[in-house]
Amino acid sequence: MLFLLRLIATLLHAAAVFAVAPLLMGAVNKFRAWALGRRGPPFLQPYYELYKHLRKTTLVPETATELFAIWPVAAFLATATAALLVPGFYTGMLTAPTSDFITLIGLLALARAATMLGGLETGFGFGGAAAGREVLFSLFAEAALLVVLLSFVLLAHSITVDGIAVAFATGHIGISVSLGFALAALLAVALTETGRIPTDNPAGHLELAMVHEALTLEYSGRFLLLLQYTAMLRLLLWMDLIGTIFFPFAMAQADSILTWPAGLVLWLIKLGIMAALLPLFEISTAKMRIFRVPEFLGAAMLLGILAGVFLFVAARIGS
Amino acid sequence: MTDNVTLMVGLPGQGMHLHLDALSLLFLCILAPQVLASAVAGMRFSVTFWVFVFGMVLALAAGDAFTLIFGFELMSAASWLLVLRGDQRPATLYITIAIFSSACLIPAVFLPASSIAFVLIALGTGAKAGLAPLHSWLPKAHPAPPAGVSALMSGGMVKIALYVLIRYAFIVLTGAAQPWWGVVLIVAGIASVVIGALRAMLETEMKTMLACSTVEHVGLIAVGLGIALRAKAMGDPALTAVALQAALLCAVAHGLFKPLLFLGAGEVKHATGTTSLNWLGGLMRGQPRLGALMLLGAAGMAALPLGPGFAPEFLLLHAVIAAAATGGILARIGFTFALAALGLGAALALGAAVRLIGIGFLGRPRSLHAASAEDARRGPLFGMGLLAVLMLPVALVPGQVLAAMMPVVTLLAPQAEIHLLSYTPLPLILLAFLIATATGFILHRWGVRGTREAAPWNGGFGRAPVWLPFGDPTTQPSATGFAEPVTRAIARGILGKHGTDPAETYLVAPLQRLHLRGVRLAERIRRATIRQRLGVVFAALVMFLLALGLAEGG
Repeated sequence: MLFLLRLIATLLHAAAVFAVAPLLMGAVNKFRAWALGRRGPPFLQPYYELYKHLRKTTLVPETATELFAIWPVAAFLATATAALLVPGFYTGMLTAPTSDFITLIGLLALARAATMLGGLETGFGFGGAAAGREVLFSLFAEAALLVVLLSFVLLAHSITVDGIAVAFATGHIGISVSLGFALAALLAVALTETGRIPTDNPAGHLELAMVHEALTLEYSGRFLLLLQYTAMLRLLLWMDLIGTIFFPFAMAQADSILTWPAGLVLWLIKLGIMAALLPLFEISTAKMRIFRVPEFLGAAMLLGILAGVFLFVAARIGS
Repeated sequence: MTDNVTLMVGLPGQGMHLHLDALSLLFLCILAPQVLASAVAGMRFSVTFWVFVFGMVLALAAGDAFTLIFGFELMSAASWLLVLRGDQRPATLYITIAIFSSACLIPAVFLPASSIAFVLIALGTGAKAGLAPLHSWLPKAHPAPPAGVSALMSGGMVKIALYVLIRYAFIVLTGAAQPWWGVVLIVAGIASVVIGALRAMLETEMKTMLACSTVEHVGLIAVGLGIALRAKAMGDPALTAVALQAALLCAVAHGLFKPLLFLGAGEVKHATGTTSLNWLGGLMRGQPRLGALMLLGAAGMAALPLGPGFAPEFLLLHAVIAAAATGGILARIGFTFALAALGLGAALALGAAVRLIGIGFLGRPRSLHAASAEDARRGPLFGMGLLAVLMLPVALVPGQVLAAMMPVVTLLAPQAEIHLLSYTPLPLILLAFLIATATGFILHRWGVRGTREAAPWNGGFGRAPVWLPFGDPTTQPSATGFAEPVTRAIARGILGKHGTDPAETYLVAPLQRLHLRGVRLAERIRRATIRQRLGVVFAALVMFLLALGLAEGG
């Protein structure tokens, strides 16, 4: 019976994640337009765009190899699997035991590798240049993620995302300086990974300055649909991750059905707030030069290390 | 297994003892597929190759110190001959390192259990395994011989050195074990990871790059061993088990994917005449089977999930996090930095693997040789296929592989508490399969099917001349160009302006200068005139008499 409930909860969560991801992107675009004083595209625009790509012919460049079709599929599958591992509004889903944070980092790295190989596939300049930059960004992002994870493990005594969420929701962690540092570090990594300002511009049209967009330049039709959907899922995943870890208020439990509606509503509200804050941040900063990004992420890594060091000191004083 | 076999050759009156336990069996299992693959790939007619293999097997099966050293030296000598036959330049450096290694090992194995013995063992085996700071010979020597030997050197020979390290640090010297022994290994390992991964990202020769990646993986194994050694000395059974499992599984995985990649690099060389990534490109078209196998190997090298390299990396990161959660404050801060360095190394390894596949096998050919490459020969393909098949259990059911390795962990640390591996690839594959089915259904039901070929947008460059059927190769990023952002942002900080290895700058170059000075001095003495020689003899006589007189008189 409990297993059945958890199965239903997992399926519901999957359905919600896959359905809401384009809406979230639509909301971010709409709020961004509003903040800039424009009317903006409708909230449902991403759905229309995905449908448009579904009905378009898929073009394959002549210079591409047989594996051209593999990379978008691999990137999509890795990101979608990762998105299912992050508990959005349920704790205790069937995927909870496998939601190890390091597995999650690995799946994101897999998606990144597939996207980079897709960019190198056709053998023309922009894809390769963007892939090289993506490697550079990933260096400090990965290091920062690991040190931030250390702080979570020290506080929550669990390394699965689900376990961290449960510990932070129920335990008396209180507000600590470490968590503030960890949040700042995680936000910097999230902005980089999802390709937002200040490290990359999702609305940019200049190929020389593109990073994430330049990797997908040669894809069209079904493959572009998968890649765009992957980008939407990635945004949702990172918002989910931050929401789950830092604001795990009133998350639903998979095995008690009465908590489900409140959890779902609160999840949507949390996503809405983050979707409103992201454009506000974006319009208040400028895009960085490529070689400033390692400094930005290096600072994130140092913040993560500081978060850990503060915890060590606190443990030393406490004992 | 306690049965000893005594051979009637060896030291007078003693003979040679052979003895197999769980540890040596594990390393024999790591060695066997590589030897088979290399032999199938074309090395089976070389006598030196079989002497090399015999040396490694003898070192593993040794039951006494003499046999161990004998096998180890046989391995070194045979591999030196193989390196010498490939390329003469690195051979001198290689034999110097090998002599240094035996100069450390031979006294160490006969010393009583003490810290001096451990330091000598660590120096000797670290030099042979390519552990920083004694690693700078490895990227020069390993690519020199034919691919089959390179594969066995990178996948097998460094493992033999690590085997000796494990056997002495965990079994023979265990009575005198100190926590700082582990710290030494961790520091050396972290340095190897960062330098190895960074150089792998920057090198353009495929085999050199693979050798740099070997330095990185040796570093990862050393970090695991160091954490285990430290935890064992400090009495932390759970951490000991995790770290040991990480190190041993990393050795198993590396012993499969690295020979595969080296054999593949050899086939690339055979088909195109070069292994420089800057002259390759688009090999996936002419060599689809080789490319697919290389892709598998690269996934292992990059430690991607669902590949063979991820489970060891996962365990190692868990071990470092667990180590940072307990202990003194300085050690914890140190482990936090180690974690950051491992993250950096992992991202660099991913970049290096993407570069290997993306620049070498995807895109457009950068030379006519690359454009006309034909698929690999049957022998090497069979060898690589064998290794790829053996990678499957490590990739998909790492938990079972670890369970099979349980006796080794209990042999090395009898009190270790072994927990189940919490990374399970099969549920992830199931999830991905479900998503793929649903997506496939949607795309198939509502989408427009089929594809159409089109000319890609070439970024605004003009039309290429007709004698370049694949377009102008200079309009696509080269291997050097791909690594340029990393070079500019961090490599100049770590490797210096010219990208030379720090070990080269701070260790090898001063030693070479010292050597040069010594040679000059010797030459001056040799060329001394008769007057100078007589003068020296006279001065020595005066000094001697003076000393004698002072001693008598005083």
